[in-house]
Amino acid sequence: MHKSVMVGALLSASIFGLAAPAFADTELKVYISSQHQPQVWRQVLDKFEAANPGTKVTIETGGNTSEAQAQYLNTIMSAKDASLDVLILDVIRPAQFAAAGWTSPFEGKDMSVYLPAYAEANTVDGKVVALPAFADSMFLYYRKDLLEKYGIQPPKTWDELKAAVKKINGGENNPDLQGLSFQGKAIEGAVCTFLLPYWSQGKNLVDNGKLTFDKTAAVNSLKLWKSFVDEGVSKKNIAEVATDDTRKEFQAGNVVFAVNWSYAWAQSQGKDSAVVGKVGVTRLPAVAGGEQATCLGGWEWGVSAYSKNQDAAKKLVSFLSSQEASKHMAVNGSLLPTYSPLYQDADVLKAAPWFADAKQVVETAKPRPVTPRYNEVSEVIRTTVNAVLAGVTTPEDGAAQIEARLKRILR
Amino acid sequence: MTTSTLNITDRMEKQPPAWSRLLDLSDKALAVLLLAPAGLLLSLIIVYPVLRLVYTSFFSLSLTSGLPAEFVGLENYQLMIEDPVFWETTWNTVLITLITVPGALVVGMALALLANLPFRRQWPVRLSLLIPWALPLSFAGLIFAWFFHSEYGVVNDVLARFGIEGVIWFNSPSLAFAAICLTIIWKTSSFMALIILAGLQTIPRSLYEAADVDGAGRVRQFFEITLPLLKPAIVVALIFRTITALQTFDIPFMMTGGGPGTSTATLAMYIHQNTVSFLDLGYGSALAVVMFALSMCVTVIYLRIIRTKE
Repeated sequence: MHKSVMVGALLSASIFGLAAPAFADTELKVYISSQHQPQVWRQVLDKFEAANPGTKVTIETGGNTSEAQAQYLNTIMSAKDASLDVLILDVIRPAQFAAAGWTSPFEGKDMSVYLPAYAEANTVDGKVVALPAFADSMFLYYRKDLLEKYGIQPPKTWDELKAAVKKINGGENNPDLQGLSFQGKAIEGAVCTFLLPYWSQGKNLVDNGKLTFDKTAAVNSLKLWKSFVDEGVSKKNIAEVATDDTRKEFQAGNVVFAVNWSYAWAQSQGKDSAVVGKVGVTRLPAVAGGEQATCLGGWEWGVSAYSKNQDAAKKLVSFLSSQEASKHMAVNGSLLPTYSPLYQDADVLKAAPWFADAKQVVETAKPRPVTPRYNEVSEVIRTTVNAVLAGVTTPEDGAAQIEARLKRILR
Repeated sequence: MTTSTLNITDRMEKQPPAWSRLLDLSDKALAVLLLAPAGLLLSLIIVYPVLRLVYTSFFSLSLTSGLPAEFVGLENYQLMIEDPVFWETTWNTVLITLITVPGALVVGMALALLANLPFRRQWPVRLSLLIPWALPLSFAGLIFAWFFHSEYGVVNDVLARFGIEGVIWFNSPSLAFAAICLTIIWKTSSFMALIILAGLQTIPRSLYEAADVDGAGRVRQFFEITLPLLKPAIVVALIFRTITALQTFDIPFMMTGGGPGTSTATLAMYIHQNTVSFLDLGYGSALAVVMFALSMCVTVIYLRIIRTKE
């Protein structure tokens, strides 16, 4: 009780900017997007302040989607604004920020302590440009209770998923119950939507900065998603569905299977959820004869190249990406750790038991193409996926458009 | 000091034309002096940015490439001509202008005539005219995005009450386009109405009384008196409306984000995407130059029309 009052007072004081102690000689401002639980990160920042007297850290929040946040940071950074010292970045952005010279590299940092995928995502041309904040990847959420009722095992392929949905729909006879919810709106999530079955066919999009587009695999991927709509497995307006819509529909009990990131877990077990204790999380299915593939997510901490407190900012980022901080965020914010041992940590598993199986998924997750022009790559893929799901473009034309436009961007 | 003053006075008395020439000159100097602040301000906030925009459009300048700006001549314009999305967004912009400008004029005219009727209480009518105009564009876009939502939207709900099956508005390019145009007309017709209403109130009542005496009906009065006298107000309203229509951004950005695919994206959205999201300032500038040229053409055409009418 006493502690929560203290935290509340600290929080409100920092909101009003009145907490500046007289001895503070270094002030750092950290940008955290509003969907990433700034109140839990605040607890980690308080620990840092306690260990570093004389340093005061404030949070600036903004942008509740990856795209909105990128637009804001693009504006700030292209104006060479020095007001932000530390930035949280989507895993797809360090390459762009490094190319633009917006983040300061970390010298002599040992990246082998992190999961290999994040060591790789934060290293551009041999330089460490950011440090991992938390790990993430896409999972298949399913209704444990419904699958058990009809004696169905969690599907290993998309065809099995279709069959499972047809069996459950036939038995439940509930027109409001949707078989599968995924992201069809033209948002960042739709890039992963396209890539999941594409990767599952063993194909890569980009290799060493060169486009290795496989048109047949692309057509198959788009056809698969369109077939979910056409066969009534997913609802007809799937082209309007964004990531958080999927989370809400699933949490309301209106969906059997959902493709989503790990954050959806915490709320599906929260007090506003209709499916507490009825949720299973597993690997995403594969295409028939293919391998199970998922999309690598997660966010990183970068130090602004325009920050006037380079050393203090780097010290803070080293702390924010430490094992101690990672554990705190896993336990209190159910964010996947970037340190391998934490997936067997008793405190972490007590808070989120399914993390025990999640490490293998994160370790095999595939990164989206690493390129400074990622925003353009993303736009091409997500608008095409959206057009195909809306029935405006055929899968064949869509794949041809993606190929033609990606060739221009990655020439 | 004294001698020179005397000298000047002498010269002034001897050569009065020189004094008047001097007076002319100082008049001009005064004019220049008085116009200077406005001129300076205009060149700083309009002329310089426009020239800078045209200059940047000749460079390859992308913040994601990590390369310094490089002069490429007309390459950005060459790319634009080959870019199907440029043509699609430009065509969408023109189509929005062609549909929403006349649409807003007709609806705005009707609203203005309605508001001009001798109601006992004027303020509720005027207030309801002002509210859509005062609402920020992005709010209007967001509100109508919910209205047209296929599951939670009020439009499909009303349709269902009349036994008509709802449609997924944002799944079809033509329906999404129609929803956007309806929203723009709703949002902008009150601006038209306000200007036309101001015009209506300058028409003397005596003209209508004379027409009544001469036996002219209501319809004839509208076409013979109201419409001709409203022409200047209508032209002004049309100029403003057309230019803002060419710059349409907020409403489609909030309603569809340009979707499905890129079928409802406008030129302004494409400029925003290239500069803010892709950080390709060279190409974005070239696109903005085209939009500037389009707006200039429209303004020149309207100004010509006013001049010939006078």
